[in-house]
Amino acid sequence: MKTVLMALALALAGASAHAFKPTRPIEVVVHTGPGGGSDLLARAVATMIEKEKLLPVRMQVVNKTGGGSAVAAAYLAEKGGEQNTIGFFTGVWLTSPLTSAEAKVTLRDLTPIARLVLEPALIAVRADAPYKTLGDFIGAAKQNPGQLKQSGGSVTSRDNVVRQLLQKTTGARWAFISFPGGGERIAALLGGHVNMMVIEPAEAGEHIRAGNMRVLAQVSDQRLPGFPNVPTLKEAGFDVPAVPQVRGVVAPPGIPADNVAYWEDVFRRLTRTASWRKFLQDNQFEDGYQNAAELAKFYDDFTERMRAILQEAGIKIVR
Amino acid sequence: MDIAAGLLHGFAVALQPANLLWCFVGVFLGTIVGIMPGLGPPATIAMLLPLTAQMNPAGAMIMLAGIYYGAKYGGSTTSILLNVPGESASVVTCLDGYQLARKGRAGAALGIAAIASFIAGTVGVLGLMLVAPPLARFALAFSSPEYFALMALGLAMVVLLAGRSLVKALLAMLVGLWLAGIGTDPFSTTSRFTFGRMELLSGIDFVVVAIGVFALGEVLANMEAREEPLALPVPRGLRNLLPTAKDLRDCRFAFLNGSVIGFLIGVLPGAGSTIASFISYGVEKAFSRRRDEFGTGVIEGVAAPEGANNSETGGALVPLLTLGIPGSGTTAILLAALVLWGFKPGPLFISENPQLFWGLVASMYIGNVLLLILNLPLVPLFAQVLRAPAYTLYPAIIGLSIVGVYSASGSLFDLALLTGFGLLGYLMRKLDYPSAPLILGLVLGGAMERALRQSLMMSEGSLAILVSRPLAAAMLSLALLILLVPLFTRLNAWRLQAMEEEK
Repeated sequence: MKTVLMALALALAGASAHAFKPTRPIEVVVHTGPGGGSDLLARAVATMIEKEKLLPVRMQVVNKTGGGSAVAAAYLAEKGGEQNTIGFFTGVWLTSPLTSAEAKVTLRDLTPIARLVLEPALIAVRADAPYKTLGDFIGAAKQNPGQLKQSGGSVTSRDNVVRQLLQKTTGARWAFISFPGGGERIAALLGGHVNMMVIEPAEAGEHIRAGNMRVLAQVSDQRLPGFPNVPTLKEAGFDVPAVPQVRGVVAPPGIPADNVAYWEDVFRRLTRTASWRKFLQDNQFEDGYQNAAELAKFYDDFTERMRAILQEAGIKIVR
Repeated sequence: MDIAAGLLHGFAVALQPANLLWCFVGVFLGTIVGIMPGLGPPATIAMLLPLTAQMNPAGAMIMLAGIYYGAKYGGSTTSILLNVPGESASVVTCLDGYQLARKGRAGAALGIAAIASFIAGTVGVLGLMLVAPPLARFALAFSSPEYFALMALGLAMVVLLAGRSLVKALLAMLVGLWLAGIGTDPFSTTSRFTFGRMELLSGIDFVVVAIGVFALGEVLANMEAREEPLALPVPRGLRNLLPTAKDLRDCRFAFLNGSVIGFLIGVLPGAGSTIASFISYGVEKAFSRRRDEFGTGVIEGVAAPEGANNSETGGALVPLLTLGIPGSGTTAILLAALVLWGFKPGPLFISENPQLFWGLVASMYIGNVLLLILNLPLVPLFAQVLRAPAYTLYPAIIGLSIVGVYSASGSLFDLALLTGFGLLGYLMRKLDYPSAPLILGLVLGGAMERALRQSLMMSEGSLAILVSRPLAAAMLSLALLILLVPLFTRLNAWRLQAMEEEK
């Protein structure tokens, strides 16, 4: 009798935890075109999930570009209740709705699944620049207000947020020049057209090794394994929060609890595989895993922080 | 490793049977992707990326690059036959290519496109092999002011694309510039002219406008005519379907012009093949002895942009392989592929991975030969498409346009835009407005605006930055010269007229 009950209980538990099974290829929505950061992460995850056999079906990446993340977020919102679709979000999904009236869908309107990675960054200058430390750069910026330049992404990008925070604490002022493509930002620095940039470690690595670039500080709470001799912002004497680029997974709104549990389980298992650890190491990402409940709280904290920073920067906030 | 030894080693890699097979698979897929409007190389390469994880990196790189440059060959096919640009860089090819087809010379146009692609593609690889490192330094000297000047030079080409009336051409160009402004402001992230429509946040896709104005506009205008059941004449006999010796002679300068301009513009990470094709068309026309016939179906008008479009590929690989800097969506995916296979693209990539670099270079020589062999026999075959009577050909063009736009974006809103731009194209034809300046404005507008605003941010609002840098100043002067030439010729005409009247 006891064994029957136990078997029954096990079966029930199994049924409730794994009632959902994908029935057709999973549609993975990203907000960048082929070759963009989210697109590459999604494709890398799809390859790892296939290799580790974590899903019985294939994952298909769908590019929904436009309006920062607005088009991709709206697409997911329209798919309410759809159980075979997920999306990869970044910090832009939280900041776009703050500055764009048309970006009506916030991450709060979608179902949180998991946060996966935090991307630290480096503050880099050209190897022949006179600045040896971040203090040198800030000092030079103070002496020539508005003369030094930084290349970066849009005004709501992490690059600009780091600049705003540094400007606020030090009183220095320098120009921020937006380039839509990551390659153009690096080319502007290497060509000597700008003085500084906030760059991802994997992007900077080879330019440092070739002797074209020098790193002044890292935008990270702890020193990265690849850069043991470079101080973090705090160690360099600048008490500003290390704003990470964040990446994770969301699902359409209104999906059943077993579906949420299924996705949570898949991504938790993914982050425990050897392939995942190697992926993090190759790209010098930090493991930023959070489950669905923690992620929802993270949204609110992050959004409030960004709202304050963007307001400070004089950017119009619409909601 | 010196060049001869490197190349020899490269051929040893590229000629391995497996790599030869991958090279063929790549260029074959590329040709198909190029012919299909809408589906472009970035999407194709991204789809194939997971499959390459298990492959030998040399073979995988050879295949993916084959898709990239192979697609450039096929892009002209639908431009010439149906006035449907297969990809953005083939829009200019429509201007003279489609007119040639209307004169019954579709085969010659397709043939010359393949030959120009082969010559310029090969020159592009030669450039990549011989001058990549110094050219990469040249590319870094280019920044926002220089890009602005380059775009201004491109816009000045409107004078050369104008039909009978320069004023109408300028108006069309301004509409194009306005269309380029629709969407999210890249600097402040506020939206412009979106009328609250989320779909317009990313701006209007250039392919939608080009296919609407060129293909649908043309079909609508032709349907009105209600003439012969056969849409276009097709000569009989294989000899009449291929370019003649005279065609090849006429294109001598175009081959050279397309090769050099395409490669140089390709090296710049912020330009791209569409701009390269427009500029080489403009240069070809400016230096031509039969300037007035451009736009009515001259063979050089196909050879120059098709060549530029192909040598651009070799150029675009220069910053990717020598600096790890991608200049376009396709090169960004190739960069990601290299990372996926465990390489570290950057300034040291070529010296640390000579076998991959030289294998790729050698495979591109082979791939270009394969593409010529693959494409030339297709010419007579494709030319037969035009034997279809108008009542089947026109619906097919409309169908192909719809499929092309939908497969690129998957958005029904874009189909509505396509219809709108089709009607616009029809009206422009009726009122004798040239459509090429509209496309030119749309292509260059976004990049030009960004470059100008970046320059002004660099100089804290002073316009002097645009003329104080030698490269930028030189290009702006050239643009001014191109704009002023028709003015002087007109003044001269008035002067002569006035002198006549005085007599």
